[in-house]
Formats: sequence, C-alpha cells, structure tokens
Amino acid sequence: MDLEKLLDIGNQCIHSEPPVCVASCPVHMDVIALVSEIEKGDFKNAYKLMDSKIPFARLIGKICDHPCETRCVRKDAGGSIHINELEKAIIHFGYSSPKKTLLLPKQKGKVAVIGGGVSGIVVAALLDKKGYHVTIFEKSDRLGGRLWDYEGEILDKETIKEELQMIEKIGIQINYNVEVLEDDLPGYMDQFDAVYLGAGHWEKGHPIDFDTFKVDDLPLFIGGQIVNKNPSIIFSVSTGKRAAISIDRYIGKISISASREREGSYESLLNYKVVDVEPVDPVVKESDIYSEEECIKEAERCLKCQCNECIKTCSHMQKYNITPDAYIRKINHNERVILGTHFANEMINSCTECGLCKEQCPVGIGMKDIIHETRESMVARGKMPPSVHEFALRDMEFSNSDSFSLVRKQPSKEQSKQFFYYPVMAFSQYLRGLYKGSGKTGYLFYPGCQLSATHSSYIGEIYKHIVGTIKENEADLDVGLYLGCCGAPADWAGRQDGMNDTVAKIKSVWEEMDKPTFILACSSCSSTFAKYLPMIQTISLWEIFDKYGLPEVDIKKGKRLLNIHDACATRHDTKIHESIRNIVKTLGYKIEELEYSKDKTKCCGYGGLVSYANKEQAKSFQEDRIQESPNDLLVYCAMCKDSLVRDNKRTFHILDVLYGKEDNNVILQQMPTLSQKLNNRKKLKADLLKEIWGEEQTMDASNKYNFVLNISKDVYDIMEKRYILVNDIEKIIDHSRKNNERFYNPETSNYLARLKLENVTYWVQYEEKGNEIDVNNVYSHRMEVVEE
Amino acid sequence: MNGASENKVPWICAKCQKELVEEKVKVRYLDGNFEVELLKCPQCNHVFISEDLALGKMLEVEKGLEDK
Repeated sequence: MDLEKLLDIGNQCIHSEPPVCVASCPVHMDVIALVSEIEKGDFKNAYKLMDSKIPFARLIGKICDHPCETRCVRKDAGGSIHINELEKAIIHFGYSSPKKTLLLPKQKGKVAVIGGGVSGIVVAALLDKKGYHVTIFEKSDRLGGRLWDYEGEILDKETIKEELQMIEKIGIQINYNVEVLEDDLPGYMDQFDAVYLGAGHWEKGHPIDFDTFKVDDLPLFIGGQIVNKNPSIIFSVSTGKRAAISIDRYIGKISISASREREGSYESLLNYKVVDVEPVDPVVKESDIYSEEECIKEAERCLKCQCNECIKTCSHMQKYNITPDAYIRKINHNERVILGTHFANEMINSCTECGLCKEQCPVGIGMKDIIHETRESMVARGKMPPSVHEFALRDMEFSNSDSFSLVRKQPSKEQSKQFFYYPVMAFSQYLRGLYKGSGKTGYLFYPGCQLSATHSSYIGEIYKHIVGTIKENEADLDVGLYLGCCGAPADWAGRQDGMNDTVAKIKSVWEEMDKPTFILACSSCSSTFAKYLPMIQTISLWEIFDKYGLPEVDIKKGKRLLNIHDACATRHDTKIHESIRNIVKTLGYKIEELEYSKDKTKCCGYGGLVSYANKEQAKSFQEDRIQESPNDLLVYCAMCKDSLVRDNKRTFHILDVLYGKEDNNVILQQMPTLSQKLNNRKKLKADLLKEIWGEEQTMDASNKYNFVLNISKDVYDIMEKRYILVNDIEKIIDHSRKNNERFYNPETSNYLARLKLENVTYWVQYEEKGNEIDVNNVYSHRMEVVEE
Repeated sequence: MNGASENKVPWICAKCQKELVEEKVKVRYLDGNFEVELLKCPQCNHVFISEDLALGKMLEVEKGLEDK
C-alpha cells in the first residue's frame, strides 16, 4: 500500500479548509471560534482570540474594514454576519487591561522601523515581543498614523493614546520628528540588522518580494500602504505581521521563504452552499453597539461553514466522528504499526464500501477504494483479524461448493420432447421456449447466492419465465442456469486469493458455455462482474423483465405508495434504476423518491460485510435508511431486504411485488435464519435439477442423525447473533453422544458438549428427551484449549 | 483470564462421572500462548469453558490478539 500517496489524498480533503471569511481576512481571524465564544456568552475569551490575531486589537478591531463581510456566504441567506459589529461589541464587553509582563532582554538584534503608522507599530510591537531592540523613526510628533483619522468617530482620543503609550512602556525606542529619506536608508541599514519601511508613501519604487516583503538582498523590508496600494487598515496590519515574520527569520538566519503559503488573503477551496439554508435577517442593533443578547443572536446566524458533505450522509463516519483526512491518517498509522495494537482495525472493517462519500465529496475523495486497498493490505500482511469475515467466507465457500453450485444449459429439445403436445404447449411459454431450443447458450441466468437463499421459491419460476420470453424474442439463444457466488464476500474481506479463484471459475464457465450474456439478479454480482469480469456481457434480470415482459401477474392499478431503496452496489447503473421504476409503475404502484436515491443512494448496512465486523454499525446504517423512508420500502437486492426488514418497517423485494404476494403477507416480512438460508440453497439446487432437468440428486439425508432438534425462537436468536448453524449443532451433539464427551448437570439434566470445527470451538447445552433434543444454549470461542 | 470464579459449577464429566477440578491448562490463539486455571475432569482432562468465560474474558483476549 502506497502510504505516501494515501496521505496525499488525505491532504486534499477540505474538511479542515477554512471558511471564506477566514481565508479572505488578511490576518485570518478565526471567525467560527469567535462567534462560538459569543454564543457561549464568553466575551473575554472572544477578545483574547481577537488579540491573538491582531496587535492593538482594541483599536484595530473597531476600525477594521472587514473584507470578510463581503465574502460571508450568509449574504445569500438573509445577509452577511455583521462581524465588524460583533468585534466592536467584543471589545466593549470583553476587553480588560493587559497584565504587566516582565520586559524581555532585547538581545536578538536591532531593528529600525521607519514610520510609526499602523503597519509600523505592528512590526515594532511584534518584534519587541520576540526580543529585538526596536527603534521607531516617526516624522511627526505622534505614533498611530491613520488611526487618528478615526478619532471622535469610532475611536476616542483617550483610548488611542492609552494603547499607543503601551509602545513606549514596553521599551521600544521612539524618535519623533525624524524624517527619513531614500538617501538615508543605506545608513540605517548599516546601523541596524534590519530596516522596516512603513512610511505610508514612498517616492522610489523598490523591487519587493510580495511573499516576504524583502527588498532584493538588502536587509530592507517594506509593508503597509506602500505595498498594499489601498487604504485598508487590516491589510496594513497583515503586511506588518508578515514583514515581522520575515525580519525575525532573516536576522535568525532561517529561510524566509519556506512554509509561507496562504499568508494574507487567499481563496478557500471550501464552496459552502446555502441552497438549503433558511434565510435569517441580520440582527438590528438597538443602540450604538450590539447588546450581549443581540451579539449572541447575530452569532447564531453564523453557518460555521465547514465541508461535512460526506460525514453528514455517512453513518460510519458519524459513528467514529471522523472525516476522510483524519481517517486516512489513522489508516496510515494502523498500516505502520509493527509492534503494538492496530487500533483502527475495527473502524476499517466497519465501512460498508458503499461509495456515497465519493459522490458527496466536492474534491472527489472516496473512502471505498481506500478501505478496500487497506483491507487487502491487512490480509496480505496477516493483520486482518481472522474472526471478522470468516463466517461470510465460509458461506461463500458453501455457495461455490457442490452443495449449491450448478451449471446447466437450457434443457434440450430432445430432453423435453415428452412435454411437446397440445394443449400444454399452447398455455406454456416456457415449453414453447424449450421447443425452440437451439443448443447455443446465449444467456446464463445467475441469480446469485443471497437471492437464492432468501427468495429460493422464485428462482425456478423466474428461470422458466425468462426462457419463455427470451426465446420468443431471440429464438436462437438458449438460456442456461448458473448457481454460485460471485465472490463479493471475498472482495469485501480483502481476500484477493478467494476473489481470483472465484473469478477464474466464473470465467471458465463462461468460456465453456461459448461466452453467453449473464443475467444478474443481485446488485453485488453486478458490481463484482463489472469490476473483475469486464469481458463478460451482463444484463440485469430487471432489464430483461422490463424489456421482454413481466411474469403474469394480476395487476391492480392504484396501489399504494412505495419508496425505492436503490442498492449501493448499482449506484451508477442507470439502466437498473430505470427498469426497476418501470416495473414498479407497470405494477400500478406510485413511487416517491427518497432524498438519497440512485447515484446518491445510501447503503442498507450489509455492504462491506459490516454486520459481521460491527453489528452496531450495521444497525446505525439500517436505522438511518429506515428513518428516511416514510412509506413501505421497495428493494431489489436480497441483502438490502435482509437488512431493512424490521418489525415496524415493511420492506418488499421487487420479486415479492412481481409475484403479487406482497399484500399483508407477514411471512414476507420475516427473513430466513442463517441455517435456513443454507438449506434453502441446497434444496433449491435439488429442486431445480429435478423439476427443470429431471435429474435426481443424491442428497445427503437431512436427517441422518438419530435425533431431532427442538430449537426455540430465543435460541435461534442467539444462534443468529453468534453465527452458529443448525448443521454445526447437529455435528456437536452427535459427536458428544457417540463419544460421551460432554458434561452433565444433574440438577437440570442438561448436557454441555463442545467440538472444534475448523477454527472455532462450539458449545451446545441440551437436554435429551428420548430422540428429541431440546437445544438450550449455544456459544463459541476461537481460543484453543490444549487438552493433554 | 482464569476460571477461578467458577470453581463451583453444577457440571460433572458425563463420561467419568467426576466432579471438575481447577487446574492449569494451556490455551493458545494466534501468537498467544497462556497457562490459565480452568475447570477440567481430573480423569479424562476434558476442559470446561463456561459461556461467561467464552464470551467475556476469552473473547476480549482473542480480540486483543487479533489486533496485535
């Protein structure tokens, strides 16, 4: 994993990008912090914040020409925040006389400041603070320059005097009535380590570096109005501050140009949109300045602009209270840990890899690929916690084993000839399809493992339907069937090996079948095929339905309203979005689009195998989505239904609706257990083989044990939570009975048996009642006990 | 991680009909090897792990080792 590249991506995240008010302010006043202090009613702290950014804040704060206000994004939603008025009030309510500080020895060097105006006194005060011996040369008999222009209007004489006296008090030497001319400059440069020229106006132009304010290779720095070429007070403060940094570095023999980006006013990358912001008018002051209450009200109008586009839509980032920049830094750290704990593992495995963050991000950062690459790296380095994805990977292994996997061509004409007689043929489009059998597999129906597990009863009907409709339209192309898993769990788990094997297997089937188009009914399959098997042409089952006709259903128009939950794996597949909506409309339902749909859809919580890594996280995704939808939900991904179907939330798979079985059917609102899903797939294979191809499968007898299990709902719930299957429980009990390897509780007549199956040791507590066995509890652990 | 708090459980070894005794037992997971006091059958050495232990301390240690 290229961590440097990753960190670069993190640095592009604009979550920490300042709002336009701060970026446009030449001294970068932290407006959000300022208004936050006001909202708390803490004017003293607010003043401290001002004072830390602006020397002589008591004066400058009042006369600042506030370029921030013209940029404030609130201007389009009621009016800009009156920052200048707030600053005046902060000075009024929050100013307190500075504490007396010890005078530092001025040993760092000698600086001459020519001109005691705004920029000059700023440079002098800042360099004095840093330990320089500063001498001001002022041509008039007082300091302050343009500050006096505001006397009587905004500033009172006493305050100006009081503030300016501070300059003398701290030990800065001031020479009044000294006019310095161009010809005098070399002498000053000889006499001082550096000279700052802030005279307001200067006849001779000097070649100034506008990043450092230094003149050529001279110890001369120029700022204030000479540089600004405008009367802005705050720009003079800014150039003074920046020149002081340069002088300090110059005398200290440090690079004066390094890390000087984004000083002064600049353009923020943040493009905060006020489209959904309710307009609120500025607070009108009732006297000369805002009262404290008025300040608080005005401060509350501040939008505190910050890019939260991804986090506001992502339950995962919300749960970990993290933004991409910080997330990436944590991944970087996690990847570099050699000895110690990988604290970010859980977080990395709690992302659904749904891709919504990238859709939201103004600069196109997406965590999906980053998380995916990180998981692959964790697996490659042996640092992926083995317990996290094991159950899902075992399930995938099952789906690609002989227990479920199946590849068949369409039953041949010869094979089906016994059905070809009137009137059967007249009523069965399927049989007519078989009659037209060409032997060339043009399509391969690939329903996927999860749909086959949760909606197994529909698969045979769908197959027959699409054989009938496709053959009617494309007579020379047969439709085969392929049961299996596309490898999505391995992809989510970062298991490249498992993914490569699966992809190779699918590709070889495709080639053996003479490269048919795959008909996909699962959104994860769609995205996996697009990513790993781009050479295979695919079409969704929903497009086939939309194109060639729906199964015969009793359409009753005027049915209720549905919200469509698009599957995140197909967020860019507009053909699927369109065909689903067409089908739903044809069936007579009304659609109300959710705010987050199609390319902006949210994940149901199943993506990225999050439910295995962090159940609470999966739940927060589910709740977020359910909360968004006021009506019944319609989904077209079996996993979405599994996640979103809840006690009070009716969720229908499109197949439930298509086959007209949705009306208040309670069963449709319950999903099969993990054990049932396994058995459904086994049974589906056997049923299809028998029904479609007339093949009897030698099934391992489901009841090969000499006992029958009774499992209560409570215990089933525990099994679901702990990922324990009925098949495993049977093995454990059988083993314990055969070997009498078990504990016994004479008080309750319960047995407790354990058995290690692969990496997990399972424990089952049960009671024998003849051949019937009540399962009372199950649990497991991965730690291995060495029994000697 | 130890089973000391569980030194009295109602379980006996079904095969040997013996009460369980507390003894040091080796357990391992990933790179971790420990010796802990657990209840076991004194005759056949069949080790007892309670639900509380499996889903409590044991799980905590497993997770800790997995994140190492």
